Amino acid sequence: MSRRTKLGFAVLALVAIALPLISDDLTLRRQTQLIVLVLAVLGVNLITGYTGLISLGHGVFVGTGAFAMANFIDWGLPAWAALIASTVFVGLVGVILGLPGLRVRGLHLALITFGLALAFPPLVRRLGKLTGGTTGRDVDIEFMPPAFLGIDEHAQIWRYVVCLAVVSIWFVLAWSLVNSRMGRALRGVRDNELASAAFGINLTMAKTGAFGISAAMAGTAGALQAILFPFVSHAQFDAFLSLRLYAAAVLGGLGTLAGAIFGVIALITVPTVNDALGLLDNEAVVFGLGLVVMTFVAPDGLAGLFSGAGQDPDSGDSTNTTD
Amino acid sequence: MELLLQRCFDGMFNGAIYASLAIAVVMIFRSTGLLNFAQGEMAMMSGYVALVLLSSGGVAGTGIAGWLPGHPWPVTIAIIGAVIFGFVLGAAVERFVMRPLEGRSALSQVNVTIGLLILLNGLTLQIWGSNGRFFPSPFPADIDDFISIGGARLRLTTLGVWGVLIVVIAVLGALLRYTRTGLAFRAISSNREAASLVGVPIGRTLTIGWGIAAGIGALAASLVGGAIILEPLTMMKMLIYALAAATIGGLDSPKGAIVGGLIVGLAQSLVPGYLGVPTELSILPPLIAMILVLVVRPHGLFGTRPIARV
Repeated sequence: MSRRTKLGFAVLALVAIALPLISDDLTLRRQTQLIVLVLAVLGVNLITGYTGLISLGHGVFVGTGAFAMANFIDWGLPAWAALIASTVFVGLVGVILGLPGLRVRGLHLALITFGLALAFPPLVRRLGKLTGGTTGRDVDIEFMPPAFLGIDEHAQIWRYVVCLAVVSIWFVLAWSLVNSRMGRALRGVRDNELASAAFGINLTMAKTGAFGISAAMAGTAGALQAILFPFVSHAQFDAFLSLRLYAAAVLGGLGTLAGAIFGVIALITVPTVNDALGLLDNEAVVFGLGLVVMTFVAPDGLAGLFSGAGQDPDSGDSTNTTD
Repeated sequence: MELLLQRCFDGMFNGAIYASLAIAVVMIFRSTGLLNFAQGEMAMMSGYVALVLLSSGGVAGTGIAGWLPGHPWPVTIAIIGAVIFGFVLGAAVERFVMRPLEGRSALSQVNVTIGLLILLNGLTLQIWGSNGRFFPSPFPADIDDFISIGGARLRLTTLGVWGVLIVVIAVLGALLRYTRTGLAFRAISSNREAASLVGVPIGRTLTIGWGIAAGIGALAASLVGGAIILEPLTMMKMLIYALAAATIGGLDSPKGAIVGGLIVGLAQSLVPGYLGVPTELSILPPLIAMILVLVVRPHGLFGTRPIARV
């Protein structure tokens, strides 16, 4: 682990500890909701950054996760089981919706996923029994700390800690995934499909697997959102959510795990800065402008901006080999 | 029979709108190999500009437009104004956003158009708010302005939109066929490197091409106003229909764009009626058709079959 990475971890840990201390309950809830979105951004990063399949539809998976959670809780599953069940369920949905990705790549896949993102809210409105139709539905859960801890008055901090733990688990899984044989296979698929196939990589398995895992991540994010704020409706999961997730993944930096964290930092800071300056009452302008500007000044995203300037001498990855 | 005809006529109106936007998408795809995801939002902004030009008040920006001679303008003139605005916007996007990214990865070019989509949508929302606005039709659009064919009503707006579409295609065809810039544009579409080697001014031609594409989009957005109310989400749905149309027809074929537009428009009015798909889900038939086409026959009905050397 390089010095820079260690420093990054230290800063993250500090921020993670400081957040509940400096924020009031309401802000902390809002921040927790955004922090769980890091999983959705991580999902986009895995499928677009690592595997090279553009997904403009990850909001669909977040939404499916949220509605799945609501229904699994209806069935009487305990929260943790419902969380795992919705994650698995969304993973399967991702495998199915990712099937076109086996034959279609690049722009065309972007098109399909964008279409799915647009079709999701009307579909949800039609599935009234499961999703609450046009009005939305409550999620029948109180996300409270267990009684023996006796910290009921700090429930918000408990929720924050639980969500952070789930997010961390996914990050560890993602980290070991991208550094495994499968992770190398995904990058191979991204860089040259034919060559990877020639090296014996099973393209079908690699792509559907990547889609499934990436969707499952987004599904966990949705499921957590559904219990953080126990009300879900189609309006929360419109096409703009998908676009925002994609924008966050690109802004953060595709193809690095740190990129997802940076992306969510962008997701959190943009509205905050917006509020503070009071310039614009919609963040879309900032996101859009950010995406355009970043493509020019930092094509590798914020993560690239922070790591590109000075490569670690001990990482063995020198950019100035010609000198 | 009457009902079938009626549904066809209804679908034809939307079909013309999708076809125009699809032509804009195809023009850019042919010449640059890029899908402009911001095409719909560029068109929508132009639509709002038309609205500003023809309103005497109550729309943000009418104050600024007030010093224009003769403002508020009649609908037709306002639409021409919007087309000019669209042209300038499209040309500016090519010149100042896309051109500097030339030679960068396809992904960063896609990212920029998605960024523009979000940005322009946000700007429109910021300037004109999220409330729907009524946009008058340039054609007679009263309840009794129709021609009765076999008992079904062919509305004059539908005829008008198709008339405009045919004129647009004719003018575009003539531009491409008989002008120097048109020749250059065709050269770039067929082989960009060779064109640049023989001295075709790539940059200038593409700027004009993007301008024309955005102008056609602006026209589509202004004409759709006769049927629905302009609101910031309108064009995003239009875009996916137009993209479906372009894909079904073949992404590099203008003819395909028109046929595709018609197919999508008709599918949208016929499928819910006959197959029992609720109208709300009318996005599904075009979407499924698009996915099937992309999976089974990526070059669509009229597109060039891609040949890759491996």
